[in-house]
Amino acid sequence: MKRMIALGFEGSANKIGVGVVTLDGAILSNPRHTYITPPGQGFLPRETAQHHLQHVLPLVKSALETAKVTPEDIDCICYTKGPGMGAPLQVSAIVVRVLSQLWKKPIVGVNHCVAHVEMGRIVTGADDPVVLYVSGGNTQVIAYSEGRYRIFGETIDIAVGNCLDRFARVLNLSNDPSPGYNIEQVAKKGEKFIDLPYVVKGMDVSFSGILSYIEATAVEKLKNNECTPGDLCYSLQETLFAMLVEITERAMAHCDTKDVLIVGGVGCNERLQEMMRIMCSERGGRLFATDDRYCVDNGAMIAYTGLLEFAHGASTSLEDSTFTQRFRTDEVKAIWREANLEKLNGVAEKNI
Amino acid sequence: MASTTPHDQPQWEFSCDMELDFGSEEHASIVYAALAVDKELQPDKVKRGMTVSDGKLSVHFEATEARFLRASFSAFVDVLTLATKTIEQFGQEMKL
Repeated sequence: MKRMIALGFEGSANKIGVGVVTLDGAILSNPRHTYITPPGQGFLPRETAQHHLQHVLPLVKSALETAKVTPEDIDCICYTKGPGMGAPLQVSAIVVRVLSQLWKKPIVGVNHCVAHVEMGRIVTGADDPVVLYVSGGNTQVIAYSEGRYRIFGETIDIAVGNCLDRFARVLNLSNDPSPGYNIEQVAKKGEKFIDLPYVVKGMDVSFSGILSYIEATAVEKLKNNECTPGDLCYSLQETLFAMLVEITERAMAHCDTKDVLIVGGVGCNERLQEMMRIMCSERGGRLFATDDRYCVDNGAMIAYTGLLEFAHGASTSLEDSTFTQRFRTDEVKAIWREANLEKLNGVAEKNI
Repeated sequence: MASTTPHDQPQWEFSCDMELDFGSEEHASIVYAALAVDKELQPDKVKRGMTVSDGKLSVHFEATEARFLRASFSAFVDVLTLATKTIEQFGQEMKL
């Protein structure tokens, strides 16, 4: 049988990516381009959309060429429906709607958060882990239960990556390749731990108060030579990551699961991975994590997740191929996992 | 053929019209269908109507204030350009 192939578009934040994947998870191509702002500045919707407008079509060409596929080979075209910033999301949606009509291929709208989870699972081979999804826009502890990815804990204000990114602006760190990466490098030089607020509320976390506190403290302490930027980055990372490890551990207890998967841009942080690995080993479980090729937003994760849905009979009509800034992880019915469940049940029944 | 709102009496003071000749009914319809999915974000301030005929896409904007008209028009031109470029680059048989 011919293998199924999907083309996927991701452009919900400051990266625009186009990927080609097959249903067994092979990534045939996955080019992307990141909108990098000057130090001290974040990315704004309008400018980010302009960046995507400039880069999306060359990326499509490059994705098809690298994958050595033609439009006829493609079974469906997938795009990020949400969550994310409106104007950047629209760029992918428009291109997909046009290509779908030109090539007469079906569309599949994909939830960005679910795509991170599925990409993490296929790349690492983690079967049914507790997932920590940490990025510039999202912070969630997720586990699969009864047909959906359920959010067990999340941030009640800003995302952990947003907290790190904005602190990088205070220190005027470069946004290339990403502010979080540069914080991680500076943190390696930290020696002194500075006490910061630690805000875990049940299964949820809050970062905005910590950011306000460290923004105010940093300027003062640096001026008086009481600490170095390294100390600040180190202390911030330790505090934020300890909070994340705590809520992940609590979710593991709830779900009775030993394995943890970390996905999302902040998931590349090796210190976070190290802290999580220690916690997992103490509970006799394993940590699954990936590097920046799969952690960070990319087109392949959208293509793969869309293809899973498509292979199980779902697609999005042109009229419904909208985008939305708010789209919760648990709104999606994970039909491809239900199907597996039935298959497993079928096997179990035969064995009886 | 395809039409979202008929060109009836203008309701609001500020308006503008645009016509694009694609020279192809198919291409004009593809762009129409791609852009018609996204509704105006502030329908109480700006409205947009589109029609396709003879390979031409006609767009009519109306707004309560000039600044809403400008913002809406400018955002629309960006995505219209993108849709058109997508057809230009991927509309023909692709050779790899």
